[in-house]
Amino acid sequence: MNNLIRTEWLKIRKYNAFWWIMGVTALAYPGINYIFYLGYQSLTHSESQAGKFATMLLGNPFTFPEVWHTVAYCSSIFVFIPSVVIIMFISNEFAYKTQRQNIIDGWSRNQFMSSKLIDVLITSVIITLLFVLVSFIWGASNFPVGKTEIFGQFYYVGLFALQTFAQLSLAFLVAYLVKKSFLSLGIFLFYFIILEPLLVFIFRNKVDDIGAFLPLEISDRIIPVPGFSRHISPEGYQRSLSEIQPHIFYTIALTALIWIICYRVNSKRNL
Amino acid sequence: MSTVLTLQNISKYYGRFRALNGVSFEVPEQSIFGILGPNGSGKTTLLSVVLDVMKANGGNYLWFGQPGSGAQRKKIGSLLETPNFYHYMSAIDNLKVTQSISGRGNASDIDIALKKVGLFDRRFSSFRSYSLGMKQRLAIGATLLGDPGVLVFDEPTNGLDPVGIAEIRELIIELRKSGHTVIMASHLLDEVEKVCTHVAILKTGNLLSVGDVEELMIADDVVELSASDLGRLAEILGKYNAQIIIKRDENNIHITLPRGSAQLEQINKYCFENGVVLNHLQLKKKKLEARFFELTNN
Repeated sequence: MNNLIRTEWLKIRKYNAFWWIMGVTALAYPGINYIFYLGYQSLTHSESQAGKFATMLLGNPFTFPEVWHTVAYCSSIFVFIPSVVIIMFISNEFAYKTQRQNIIDGWSRNQFMSSKLIDVLITSVIITLLFVLVSFIWGASNFPVGKTEIFGQFYYVGLFALQTFAQLSLAFLVAYLVKKSFLSLGIFLFYFIILEPLLVFIFRNKVDDIGAFLPLEISDRIIPVPGFSRHISPEGYQRSLSEIQPHIFYTIALTALIWIICYRVNSKRNL
Repeated sequence: MSTVLTLQNISKYYGRFRALNGVSFEVPEQSIFGILGPNGSGKTTLLSVVLDVMKANGGNYLWFGQPGSGAQRKKIGSLLETPNFYHYMSAIDNLKVTQSISGRGNASDIDIALKKVGLFDRRFSSFRSYSLGMKQRLAIGATLLGDPGVLVFDEPTNGLDPVGIAEIRELIIELRKSGHTVIMASHLLDEVEKVCTHVAILKTGNLLSVGDVEELMIADDVVELSASDLGRLAEILGKYNAQIIIKRDENNIHITLPRGSAQLEQINKYCFENGVVLNHLQLKKKKLEARFFELTNN
């Protein structure tokens, strides 16, 4: 295991694209949350009746403990940014034929796949740490006097980590099967941004909400819309909360299946 | 002498196309083993199978008497088809990856390998900035890392200039002298003839011949003769032996006789007794190239 981590670190540390994308992600996560925060402020800081109503309805989703949930939800929209890195990691191995050289030099095929699993895990951990940092700074800067429940919804860190890992694993699967970087990126981004949201929307009120079982939506539902939505649609909010538990199970099952497919294909494929 | 690699009835198909058809042979330790064949004969496929880059459809192979595994491959320095490195990384960083995976050598061995292939001064340049020949040199350097006892080279002189080709030839001869085993696929017959101790010849996935290079090349005796009257010489040689094959060029006559039947003293005496005084008489080995063309019917 140490050898795999060490070797992947040797590959990553000189890969400029990785650090650039991480830099973009480091800007994008606080950026998207700041946009939501500005929207919240413009709604609630008005002296009008509408402003007072909005404050009453929304509360403060950017303070502890709700901030963990709010930032997780906002940040999860941008998981496609680190997915670019994951797709490049595996596509590069095909483009440079280094996956075959890694085997020739002495890794087993399973060790090669484990090294890629480590890449996805490392990226997921970095993204999660970034999320924790953004959430904490945001929560601390909106900390209401007398309130101490800082870690009340800290479990969203675990849910965010699981969702990130699951969705990056899906990006990896696409790149592993397609092999070509730009084609993989095109397919994944089209599916992530356009096709699946469209299908989920179409299926929402039809065919027993079957869109809930589409690959990304399975893990999307482990982080529901933030708590203020309970004031808008109490039933909808309750339903979304009740979906978290089964969707954690579905997410773990799907992610395990993705990696089983990758390991199996890799053990039989001509490299 | 023990066996480094044993192939047992290896077959490989690409759809209906049979790339390897029940190939079996053994590579003895401390040999320089050439795998020869025209384009598409299955040389690279064969090496890909024994390096686990491709899965055979039938048969099996043993490295050092054991089924092939990552642990076995770590003991082998291999260059398969093309230099495969991370383009954004320098030569030294790429060799660090090779060292980390294979466990062969250490930081100072990386410098030694780079010096050996003449890339030490460019060790911090990125791989993408290298010429084709430099990339090939780096790939050879990676195989030498940690001085493995067995090396596998697939067309090692690809992309090299004449100086580079001569250097690789010297390197392989040096490896042979120091007791290494080298398995080398090539279509450069002259190179193989100069350095190899053993050879296997493949054609369209079938093994045509395998064995000691010397034995393979002297399947027949070839004698080169010359005299002031080449016409008369050719005439009398035609009556010397029923199995003789005579070829004539501008200055010499080459006769081919069944292996072991060319007695130079006897030939000299026969010519003299028939009124021809020879000014040149030499037993020659058949060139590997000629033998190769005979076997592959090209």
